[in-house]
Amino acid sequence: MEYAVVAEELRKTYWVAEKEPGLFGTLRHFVRRRYRRIEAVRGVSFALRPGEIVGFLGPNGAGKTTTLKMLTGLLYPSGGRAEVLGYRPQDRRPAFLRQITLVMGNKAQLLWDLPVLDTLRINAAVYEIPEAEYQKRVRRFASMLGIEGVLTQPVRKLSLGERMKAELMAALLHHPRVLFLDEPTLGLDVNAQAAVRDFVRQYARAEGATVLLTSHYMADIEALAERVIVIHEGRLLFDGGLKGLVERFAPYKEVRLDLEAPLAPGDLAPFGEVVELRGQSARLLVEKPRLTAVVARLLAEFPVRDLAVEEPPLEEVIGRVFREGRVA
Amino acid sequence: MLRKLLAFLSVYYAHMTVYRGEILFWLLTGLAPFFFMAIWVEAARQGLTDRDPLAFARYFFFVFVTRQLQVVWVTWTLSEEIRSGAFAFKLLQPLDPFWHYLAQHVAERGVRFPMIFLLLLVFLWLYPGALFWVGGGRLFLGLAASLLGFLLNFLVAYALGLLALWLEEATDLYNAWYVFFMLFSGYLAPLDLYPQAVRGVLDLTPFPYLAYLPAALWSGEPVPGVGRGFLVLLGWTLLAFLLARGLWRAGLRRFSAMGA
Repeated sequence: MEYAVVAEELRKTYWVAEKEPGLFGTLRHFVRRRYRRIEAVRGVSFALRPGEIVGFLGPNGAGKTTTLKMLTGLLYPSGGRAEVLGYRPQDRRPAFLRQITLVMGNKAQLLWDLPVLDTLRINAAVYEIPEAEYQKRVRRFASMLGIEGVLTQPVRKLSLGERMKAELMAALLHHPRVLFLDEPTLGLDVNAQAAVRDFVRQYARAEGATVLLTSHYMADIEALAERVIVIHEGRLLFDGGLKGLVERFAPYKEVRLDLEAPLAPGDLAPFGEVVELRGQSARLLVEKPRLTAVVARLLAEFPVRDLAVEEPPLEEVIGRVFREGRVA
Repeated sequence: MLRKLLAFLSVYYAHMTVYRGEILFWLLTGLAPFFFMAIWVEAARQGLTDRDPLAFARYFFFVFVTRQLQVVWVTWTLSEEIRSGAFAFKLLQPLDPFWHYLAQHVAERGVRFPMIFLLLLVFLWLYPGALFWVGGGRLFLGLAASLLGFLLNFLVAYALGLLALWLEEATDLYNAWYVFFMLFSGYLAPLDLYPQAVRGVLDLTPFPYLAYLPAALWSGEPVPGVGRGFLVLLGWTLLAFLLARGLWRAGLRRFSAMGA
């Protein structure tokens, strides 16, 4: 199989009822309902090779989750074609469902009042995992995630990080070949984020799994994905390597300055875009062709204690892409 | 399949034991047959009906038991899960969610039964001599009618719950079904006390077979047309099954995993 996941001109359109606030709005809504057409995904195309880990980026409302739902068969596409492991997701064939998983950072599949092991037991039965293999997988996953000690505690007593790790265990227990991860590190502290990332990386490597990952934490994307797909307002903006994204959308470098004395706002404006100015420290973005000249002038005109030139943070690159809405 | 069944029942039984207090209160809200029992026993004592007071006591006790066997809440669960988007997780599994909900109900009976047994002891203390051995055949037929009644109730509640895919909230639809159950199932009074013309119509509906049929069988009342009753009950169960499957197929196309 050449591709594990294919989206071809994928579209999804909703009709949403609109209602004005207040009593008048309620009455009007009751008598004469108005609908608005929402084009959540507008002809998105991409393909993932088996074993690829791809970051799926976009601001809130860009159509990421809708696309993931179409690829997992939860939503019927309004147009275009979706194919995962050779199946049409919306047919929801058992053989297809056995090979995929969807993790949603803001939703839980664990049984809230019972220990994690009970949900795992249910999933083992649903996916017909033999008992010995089930025990082996539980031990392995729990050890990889470092949650051996909490599996017998009720889910509601777990911390957010422990819960998310347990969600991952439940979602991956059947050894899916394709993972759709929608904000799996949402709200987690730095350590828990790192643990989740490591687990996903190890799992994907060991099983040769294909991963499509959305996250607002660029550290997730940088740690896991070499390729990123960026969508905005339902349209594809970029599909390529992380490095290519930076080169294409960030034709500038970041200059970090540490000065002997505080600067006034506006002092640095002629040199580039001031991203941050805090007392004696400043960060500014400088277009690459002007970099050498700007650095020389900064050193000549200001009492510089330290100066560093770096690639801009990925967050800023992505933010810039979204603000400018540049189509690939 | 057996492993699946055992895993579902053991985990969902554990789940239901967490809600044992709530189940007890739910059971207590189902004590209405005991109030109707008191009214009809008194009416019999005053000679207002031909029936023996103990026959009324027996009948209403079994109405209570059969009702407890048929309690369902799947409409509420479906409405809740569809609205919150949690339903999506069930759709991602290679197993019809129907089996999850059915297993939850069956497991819940395991928590409810001991409580019913305690009420049986209270009943025996209040009405000594009211219960007698009606014979294995009647016991089996009453149980079969109760279980078939549970399946019909469950399928109707499931089908109505699936309407949440269109309406977002379907709990009150089941309440409408419950009102018909209350009025026409023999819950308020034995159906043989209803006018003949009304009974003629009711016999074609599923309601008399949900409470009256099993209660009358267990309490030793004469029950004419048991075979026909089972056939009507089976027919309605099949119809409810087809309705649930049809709504399931149509609803899936509609589902948009709201709130997810």
